[in-house]
Amino acid sequence: MKETVGKACVVVAALLSLVMAGSAGFAAETIKVGVLLPLTGSMAKFGEIEKRSFDMAVEEINAKGGVNGKKIELLFEDDTGKPDVGRSGIEKLISREKVPVITGGYASSVVAAAAPVAQQFKVPFVICTGATDDVTEKGYDYVFRVNPTASEYPNAVKSFLHEVATDVKTVALLYENTAFGQSSSKSFEKDAADLGLKIVVKEGYQAGAIDFKPVLTKVKAANPDMIYMVSYIMDASLLMRQSKELHINPKMFVGGGAGFTLPEFAKSAGDAADGVYSATLWVDTLPFPGAKEYSANFKKKYGSETEYHGAEAYAAMYVVADALKRAKSITPKDVRDALTKTDMKTAFGPVKFISYGKKTQQNKLDTYMVQWQKGELEGVWPKSAATKKYIYPTPHWDKRK
Amino acid sequence: MDVFLQTLVAGILKGGLYALIGIGMTLIMGVMGIINLAHGQLMMLAMYVTFVLNTMGVDPYISLFVAMPLLFLLGMAIQKFLLNPLIKVETILPENQVLMTVGIGMVLTEIARFAFSSDYKYITTGYANQTFYLGNISFSMALTIAFVIALAFTAVMFWFLLKTDLGRSIRATAQDKDAATLMGVNTGRITVVTFGLGSALVAAAGCLLAPVYYIFPDLGGPFTAKAFIITILGGLGSTVGAIFGGVTLGLAESMGATYFGMEYEDIVGLTIFILVLLFLPGGFKRLTKV
Amino acid sequence: MKKYLYPLILLAFLALLPLVVESNYFLHLMILFLLWVVIGSSWNILAGYTGQVSFGHAAFFGVGAYTAGLLFQHLQISPWWGMALGGVVAFLIGLPFGAICFPLRGAYFALASLALGEGIRHITTIAEGFTGGMMGIMIMPTFTSKVPYYYIALGLAIFSVASIQAIINSKPGYYFVSIREDQDAAASLGINTTLYKNVSLAISAFWTGMAGALYMNYMGFIDPHVVFSLHDYSVMAILVAIVGGVGTIYGPTVGAFIMVAFQEIFRTGFFGLFEYLGKATGSSIFTTLSGAIHQAHVLGFGILVIVVILYLPNGVVGDWEKIKRNVFRINPAG
Repeated sequence: MKETVGKACVVVAALLSLVMAGSAGFAAETIKVGVLLPLTGSMAKFGEIEKRSFDMAVEEINAKGGVNGKKIELLFEDDTGKPDVGRSGIEKLISREKVPVITGGYASSVVAAAAPVAQQFKVPFVICTGATDDVTEKGYDYVFRVNPTASEYPNAVKSFLHEVATDVKTVALLYENTAFGQSSSKSFEKDAADLGLKIVVKEGYQAGAIDFKPVLTKVKAANPDMIYMVSYIMDASLLMRQSKELHINPKMFVGGGAGFTLPEFAKSAGDAADGVYSATLWVDTLPFPGAKEYSANFKKKYGSETEYHGAEAYAAMYVVADALKRAKSITPKDVRDALTKTDMKTAFGPVKFISYGKKTQQNKLDTYMVQWQKGELEGVWPKSAATKKYIYPTPHWDKRK
Repeated sequence: MDVFLQTLVAGILKGGLYALIGIGMTLIMGVMGIINLAHGQLMMLAMYVTFVLNTMGVDPYISLFVAMPLLFLLGMAIQKFLLNPLIKVETILPENQVLMTVGIGMVLTEIARFAFSSDYKYITTGYANQTFYLGNISFSMALTIAFVIALAFTAVMFWFLLKTDLGRSIRATAQDKDAATLMGVNTGRITVVTFGLGSALVAAAGCLLAPVYYIFPDLGGPFTAKAFIITILGGLGSTVGAIFGGVTLGLAESMGATYFGMEYEDIVGLTIFILVLLFLPGGFKRLTKV
Repeated sequence: MKKYLYPLILLAFLALLPLVVESNYFLHLMILFLLWVVIGSSWNILAGYTGQVSFGHAAFFGVGAYTAGLLFQHLQISPWWGMALGGVVAFLIGLPFGAICFPLRGAYFALASLALGEGIRHITTIAEGFTGGMMGIMIMPTFTSKVPYYYIALGLAIFSVASIQAIINSKPGYYFVSIREDQDAAASLGINTTLYKNVSLAISAFWTGMAGALYMNYMGFIDPHVVFSLHDYSVMAILVAIVGGVGTIYGPTVGAFIMVAFQEIFRTGFFGLFEYLGKATGSSIFTTLSGAIHQAHVLGFGILVIVVILYLPNGVVGDWEKIKRNVFRINPAG
């Protein structure tokens, strides 16, 4: 027994030394920027789009002289989509790599776990995608967010309801049981109350469900004017296909963002996607400097489409580079101070970190509404951003061509 | 009333597919007492096979004839090289074999992720979204076909186990391995064949599920859980029990979703599972001796 | 006293570590290691010694974490109280857990425990109003430096392993093993198997719950998916104990180290060694290899599990003789 324990300790010590040797850092001479993204795991696809956008932005920035002559080097940490891995990842960036600034942050739950770490160690964190509201409601002065929050996603939908779809009185609300889904549904309930809409069905579901027919049958029986769904791509696709199978005909189907705006949704749902609206944060036809070029260059360089997550990453990189240029020195505190004075236009929209409501250091952006028309995603609201006119109310399934 | 009938139909049709997922596991658990936590991952592989064939223009229902044999061979290999060796080893806990299947499941998932990435893949067929109506109630064409095929497979398995030599050898091994060996049954070979059979059956379920769902590397877990519930509900080793278990679970989930809320779908399944474990451990099989 | 020489040396080493090593990243890995020592050893008491293989231990971990978190969220009580109470609440959850699962044997027990673990996870996700659902609980950790957490984790690990060792070497310990070997024979000898199974579960749940509460304090963020995760906690606990060696006191400690180290080695491609080699030698082979290892880190881990179970079914500690013979070519006693 003593022998075995003794040998066990030897094994432990041997592996310990290997670990310790591995923990020693390696030096570099460029300006290092940390990026936290899901490079593997279930969200890897979006992690890849964002990584490519970051890379593209850095290439452009470095080609134009970098930051006051010095090149930017990106250090990616893979959070694998899990909050605790994200937390270790951001800690590694802070304490081992000693980066002056960190950006990225895709999944809401990862951002929620990582932000307090950045705050504690006083290294600025410029979030580009994670949308759960409470991260910028805690008064963390080292946390900044470029993208709108989950509660702001449906702003364009709200104004549409207010000005055009005034005959919508009842709503069915379906949402996935994730941080994004639950926080979106909570804020949508408030919005519905503000607009005087009655929520006739409200159901959360486990993402990845096979069969939505039971809940959709309930929805059909309640006969709502609008069905609002906060879902990711494949749940969204199944929801629409099964709504078609059940012949559900509200005045409008509206997606709460993410799943409903991606090309895979329309491809897999086929003609069941036609007429579906969605809240969105960005389309490349918006009048922002570099938006169209970013989209075209991305497609040329990588051979696939980008979408709003990529635009968020691209813009965040420019924001970080801009702050680095203005910072008195490349230290976390000075970079942070430079970030508070950010006031620029990017391909994703204007960026200025302000305080409003409960939020601090949050960029306030408009959001938009798009609609699938014959397989193409068209901007339809507000009118200033519209590429085509909206089709309202949605025609019945059996009356379509 | 319509709501009730539609929910009923949805539950029963889904149940047919579930039954097919469960049959494979009930066979494996019944014959070898192996808890196969990689069951869902095997189905996932079959779905990817269907996907690949679909990109080449092959209909998912034809893919049945490719995926089933492939998974049969894979199942046999897993049993022979990874699970059989564990039976002979002296360990404190017999649960090593379960953990082996956990490891296998992990490896299968990651291989799929490596080969196909985490993107969601889907199959488009002409008839996948089609429905037919009886009165006001919508029936999904794809699920109805799956239901019929599941029944057919159950009938075939039932006949196979009852009437063929191989089938009887399997049942003998399930009842008492040592006695079967004494009777001249090559139990080593039987376990290998049974695992292969179980894998082939869950592969069939995968091919049938593919048109109405979508494919990604992590989809295995929830289906393995459902397979357990069905196996316990129906009774280990009982093919007819699997149909009963599958339909019961499908109905419970649908009714639960409609009348309690879709959030509760999984909890309904888990609750039934625990109740059956506690109060009816033999499952349906014990009630009917089938 | 000589029997404890090696563990004491290791202990001294661990106690002095933070004074020597400054890297936060390294301390973080050590804290994870210590947490797994606690969880693995706790699981081992119920499964390795008493033979009840639980697949639902994440339930106790998560309950401990949520106790600490919710006390803060709803009552503004410092989550450190959660450490004291986390273990207790986990123990309380263990009572119905045991009542439901213990009438079942072997595989059925395992499945029922799995179902309960998953059930608790679902309930926590649904009860949004009370638990915050998937939005989780976010608190600001008390200490900036990792060192206090390290010592607390070390203390927890020492106390749990010591208490487990004390129990195993006492009468209840023998009862546990007799239940594992043959429950019916034990019962017929007059041992109150139900009582002792529950005692074993109580100890197991208590320490796991405390580990969960420490996790809440240390990480600052939890959600149902993270702390009740079947794969990341329930299955990992089993792997830690089995890789190290079930039914041994120090097996889970070794297992915890191996699992944490290998997981991180795979995830970072040998701590960026390959990447560094790639940059240093300019050879693209290393960079591709590093990328591949990173992409396939879970795959590597899964293969490790399979290999260990095939060749070291009794774990590193349990099969140490086998390792000595085959790897180190040491043949004892001629």
